[in-house]
Amino acid sequence: MNYPLWSIPSLGGSWAVGLISVIHVFISHFAVGGGIFFAVTEYLALKRSESNDLTLRHNSEMLYAYLRKHSKFFMMVTTVAGAVTGVGIWFSISLVSPDGTASLIQTYSLGWATEYLFFVAEIATVLVYFYTWDKVSKELHLALAQWYAVLSVFTLIIINGILSFMLTPGGWIESKAWYEGFFNPTYWPSLILRLLVMLAIAGMYSLITSARLKASESEDVANFRAYMLKYSSKWFIPVFLIGPIVGFWFFSQVPQAVITNIFTGIQSSGVGNFSILARAIYLSLILSGTVLIFALVGPYLNPRGFSFGSAVAFLVCGLGVTSMSEWSREMLRKPYVIYNYMYSNGIRKADLETINKDSFAAFSKWEDPDNIGTSMFRQQCMICHTTDGYRSMKKLLGERDLEGIKTFLLMMRETDPEKNSYLNIMPPLVGTDKEVEALADYLVTLKPVKLGV
Amino acid sequence: MLGEISETTFKWLDERLSLSAVASAAGKKKVPLHKQSFWYYMGGIAMLLLAVQFLTGILLMVYYIPELSSANSSVLFINSQIDFGWFVRSMHSWGANILIFVLFAHMFSAYFMKAYRKPRELTWISGLGLLMLCFGFGFTGYLLPWDEVAFFATKIGIDIAEQVPLIGVILANLLRGGLEVGQGTLSRFFLLHVIVLPLGLFAIAGIHLLLVQLHGMSEPKSFQAQAPEKKKYEMFFPDFFMKDLMVWLLAFNVLATIVILFPWGVGPEADPFAAAPAGIKPEWYFLGMFQFLKLLPAHISFIEGEKVGLLIFALIGGIFAAAPFIDKGENPKLSMFFDMYGLMILIGLIAFTIWGYLA
Repeated sequence: MNYPLWSIPSLGGSWAVGLISVIHVFISHFAVGGGIFFAVTEYLALKRSESNDLTLRHNSEMLYAYLRKHSKFFMMVTTVAGAVTGVGIWFSISLVSPDGTASLIQTYSLGWATEYLFFVAEIATVLVYFYTWDKVSKELHLALAQWYAVLSVFTLIIINGILSFMLTPGGWIESKAWYEGFFNPTYWPSLILRLLVMLAIAGMYSLITSARLKASESEDVANFRAYMLKYSSKWFIPVFLIGPIVGFWFFSQVPQAVITNIFTGIQSSGVGNFSILARAIYLSLILSGTVLIFALVGPYLNPRGFSFGSAVAFLVCGLGVTSMSEWSREMLRKPYVIYNYMYSNGIRKADLETINKDSFAAFSKWEDPDNIGTSMFRQQCMICHTTDGYRSMKKLLGERDLEGIKTFLLMMRETDPEKNSYLNIMPPLVGTDKEVEALADYLVTLKPVKLGV
Repeated sequence: MLGEISETTFKWLDERLSLSAVASAAGKKKVPLHKQSFWYYMGGIAMLLLAVQFLTGILLMVYYIPELSSANSSVLFINSQIDFGWFVRSMHSWGANILIFVLFAHMFSAYFMKAYRKPRELTWISGLGLLMLCFGFGFTGYLLPWDEVAFFATKIGIDIAEQVPLIGVILANLLRGGLEVGQGTLSRFFLLHVIVLPLGLFAIAGIHLLLVQLHGMSEPKSFQAQAPEKKKYEMFFPDFFMKDLMVWLLAFNVLATIVILFPWGVGPEADPFAAAPAGIKPEWYFLGMFQFLKLLPAHISFIEGEKVGLLIFALIGGIFAAAPFIDKGENPKLSMFFDMYGLMILIGLIAFTIWGYLA
């Protein structure tokens, strides 16, 4: 525990990170999927422009005009909103979970540096791509689109290694060899799954700009609008066909304890921590399924009836699916930030015994000796809990008195799953008896005071 | 090969069910396109939510026991022991609430678009009947988990019903099945909830849907006033139907999201001998009326306050239901009066519900 922590009352740090991250994921997936979308669609436009068929040549002209408009939207969304939220993630995770962030940077310094280089090249390329419409040959412009697609896919190839490492570090736990952590058990299914989702998200954004085309202008525009909506909806086909298979592959690679957690959630009451993971997965599956049917009955089967409002509603559903899927992925790691290595509160699994023997104070540079209980709460609990907001301690403590809280905390210190049923979702509590008592003394002050007669 | 099989199957069914005639009728049906078209989807959403209620209701009946000592524990068992049990129960409970909300939206949109006018008077009346039935579903279903809040809220609800002039006592006794809310009440509410009300719903919903098919979608006055060449329509099948499917998916997503983020819990088992907990309130759709009744004095002149309140509700509701027979579209002033009347009811309902919630 080498760093101070950011306290966000009521909302909690994890929500701050989560909200920023979800928006970023939705945009960054568009940045990659959109890159492929431009490369493929511009290729189609070029091929059709070379055709002898007049209808195809006309379609090519309209495709070019559409791509030009869409690229402005693409550039603005991915460079401005994408960059702002990307920096926002770094800003928030380094304050909310500094030890976890430090660990990821230390393990993958070269990976992050390479990711940054690809990102800069990607931004530069999209700017060149947009500002060279009609200024370079069609072939060169298409090459720019293809180059952008390659660069953006490479950003995925790198970040996917680090993200999947956090859930399944694989052989890295023993060897500490970066490539074993990078090419971990969920690397490939996760990479394919993300690519498929990115293509669908590209289609989703394209539905927005296609639905903006004014069908009332002329029959020609109305026809092209319908064509583009149908074309955009086809970008859902890969995830629809291959997604479930890769999903099974992904789940076959996650640790057995995670699968057990999911089934515990399915069999529990739907309230409480044990069911959160299962609930998040349900919602992710339900929303994914309905999004695909939506794409079928909306833009694919009835493109002329698909309004801009429908496209926005569709985008909101897409954001919902992305949020729930990313949330589920984060929850799968519980109670770790790097599975089986570092707990979500930044304490290394290997340090448990030492901390319990020496004291948490000796381990934490930011413990306030005058307020040990508060420090213990801030350093060990606050990553997931707030005092009276999200996962409120006040609420979770319920009717427990000081003794009840102490008993509960002592149980939380156990590292044997038979004695501590929370181990699969919460890190064990660490510290000496005195520190645990200090935490209990602090927690009891959170309970509402009952006025006697 | 596949084409041949489907063609033969269609022919077989067509000869027996006249599918071609149905398809031909559906192919001719048109839906007007205008700024208020959005409200046309409310009926479809209500139908989807009703289907969810039936399906989840059947699943809940597999484990639910309508018996005093087991009702609460059986719901707890569904919520905590059965795989996906909490999900099914939450779908049923949340679905019921959202259904009533959608029915309100459907009713008021039909009212303000003057969709009740000739020839749709019976469609309007049957729609109101469906809303009443859904209130009945809500009232009877609320008691079934036999928890503390449901028990006392039902008790208050039946006491209010007892104040209905002339038939109040008979009605309350019929519902209660004895002097106190107990096994008799639970059995009757269960029976009403799973047999009587669904039968009524099937019958009235059938008539309502048939009338909608017969008369088609109503056109608001602003649309009717347009020149024929400016009026836009879309085909019901497949255009509107496809959009309907999209809206259903959205509605289902909203329901699933609420269910999963806020699962429906079970309260502590009812204890008829315990004192009523403070702040007992009915479900939100009765809250406005409940709050209004609370404001009335015990007696107004020589009549009990609650009786007067119920008479006022009957009068307001009666005029509201009779709108198609008074506002026939011949008198603009009358039309305006009914617009204002509906608006006052809507504002009053929202205000009293919020007041009741905060009180």
